[in-house]
Amino acid sequence: MNKSLLVGILIIAIFSIIAIFAQAISPYDPSQIDASKLLMPPSKGHLLGTDSLGRDLLSRMIYGARISLTIGLIAVGIATIIGLILGSLSGFYGGFMDTLIMRFVDIMLCFPTFFLILAVVAILEPSIFNIMIIIGLTSWMGPARLIRSEILSLKEREFIQAERAIGASNFRIISFHLIPNAIGPVLVNATLGIAGAILLESGLSFLGLGVQPPTPSWGNILIESKSTLGVAWWITLFPGLAILVTILGFNFMSEGLKKILG
Amino acid sequence: MENLLEIRNLKVIFVQGNSVISAVDGVDLDIGKDEVVVLAGESGSGKTITALSITKVLPKSAKIVSGSANFNGRDLLQLGEESLLNFRGKEIAYIFQEPTSFLNPVYSIGNQIIEAIMLHQNKSKKQAREEALDLLNLVKMAQPQRVLLDYPHQLSGGMNQRAFMAMALACKPHLLIADEPTTSLDVTIEAEILRLLTDLKRKLGFSLLFITHNLSIAKRIADRVYVMYKGKIVEEAGREQIFNSPQHFHTKELISAYEKIGRI
Repeated sequence: MNKSLLVGILIIAIFSIIAIFAQAISPYDPSQIDASKLLMPPSKGHLLGTDSLGRDLLSRMIYGARISLTIGLIAVGIATIIGLILGSLSGFYGGFMDTLIMRFVDIMLCFPTFFLILAVVAILEPSIFNIMIIIGLTSWMGPARLIRSEILSLKEREFIQAERAIGASNFRIISFHLIPNAIGPVLVNATLGIAGAILLESGLSFLGLGVQPPTPSWGNILIESKSTLGVAWWITLFPGLAILVTILGFNFMSEGLKKILG
Repeated sequence: MENLLEIRNLKVIFVQGNSVISAVDGVDLDIGKDEVVVLAGESGSGKTITALSITKVLPKSAKIVSGSANFNGRDLLQLGEESLLNFRGKEIAYIFQEPTSFLNPVYSIGNQIIEAIMLHQNKSKKQAREEALDLLNLVKMAQPQRVLLDYPHQLSGGMNQRAFMAMALACKPHLLIADEPTTSLDVTIEAEILRLLTDLKRKLGFSLLFITHNLSIAKRIADRVYVMYKGKIVEEAGREQIFNSPQHFHTKELISAYEKIGRI
């Protein structure tokens, strides 16, 4: 086990535990408003201070971790599954199927993802569910290309010929023999993708098209801090730090995985 | 003798861009029931492509232009992919040259043999596992219990070839096609594998098509020998006849090649 993988897993494990046990850990109700404690700096009662409505920042960030990590995981899950299916079909069958899928990938890549998502969210309502799906549906092209290239080289290997010779069907060859051999780089890419998805969600929330208040996500805590930045530095600093550290964690993990899986 | 497989006028070409290369050019080949047929020839003479054509497991750039391959009265070359799946591995099995690269690196030997068993037979995983162990014993694998859990990279070339033979024999095929199975192994292992093959043939009673460029192997195991040169069968004869009175110059070349090595 190398250092960067270890550090990455550690960071992500900590944030995951926080997210899973949010209810037990958070000291206050994240949406409880307290008019007597507006914009309190970090203190014993409120470790990370309070925001402009007197809500406890630590509690909001703990619940925010839950939202941000879920969006990252599910969005990348969707993207990777679509990428696996289309990429392996394209790589294995080649010919017309390959041309069709890869040109579709090219078309999808022509749209600037962020603005595509903005447009879609503006039409649909920006709920957590919609955001996960939209991020997933607009980020499968990278994985698809990656898997296609892996399959292209793997399918020429001798053991695939041997599989055909013992009578394995194409479906069997793709799902039980090609994909398990291609999973390494896909996993590395997915880990990196989670970081990207979290960042994307933060960006969307910052523009007000992501997770809607009062549900806290790291991104929308940040945007609420904008108006009080001059007097309450902590509301900006801590969510920003959380995003930074999480993404660092995923990057470390992907770096470590890359070393292990070659 | 009744024929198990009759190949008639088989023609295979490779298409690459605009150029067309003829790999197999009108091959006729018979394999009798319970017979050992050696197909000999230099590299690139089309032996392997002939063998792969029988169940149509050719590379994508290869095309079968014409011919028939009657196996137990059915022309395999007319069958679609779906029906061929019932022949591959079940009726006709292959073993190949480089056993290690023909095994999937991400699965254990046991799981690959179990897959081969379960592909064509309705058996539970537990039954298949027991049968895999029997198969490893059948091919005289040392420490079969342990090998079941081993991965291909943990075994030697000879052991992998035995494991692959266990896979090929999983469904008791009627025809085993061995494509230079001993070329990548050293001579002592080669002798062991050849002995094992002839033993297994006696025990299980399959026909064997053995592809090689080494006629000394033919001298040891063959009932009949075909010599292939530039995509054509140039000579066909019984074992004694081919060594006593070789007709074609390529047969003479192949014979003198190993005799020269024998003298060194």
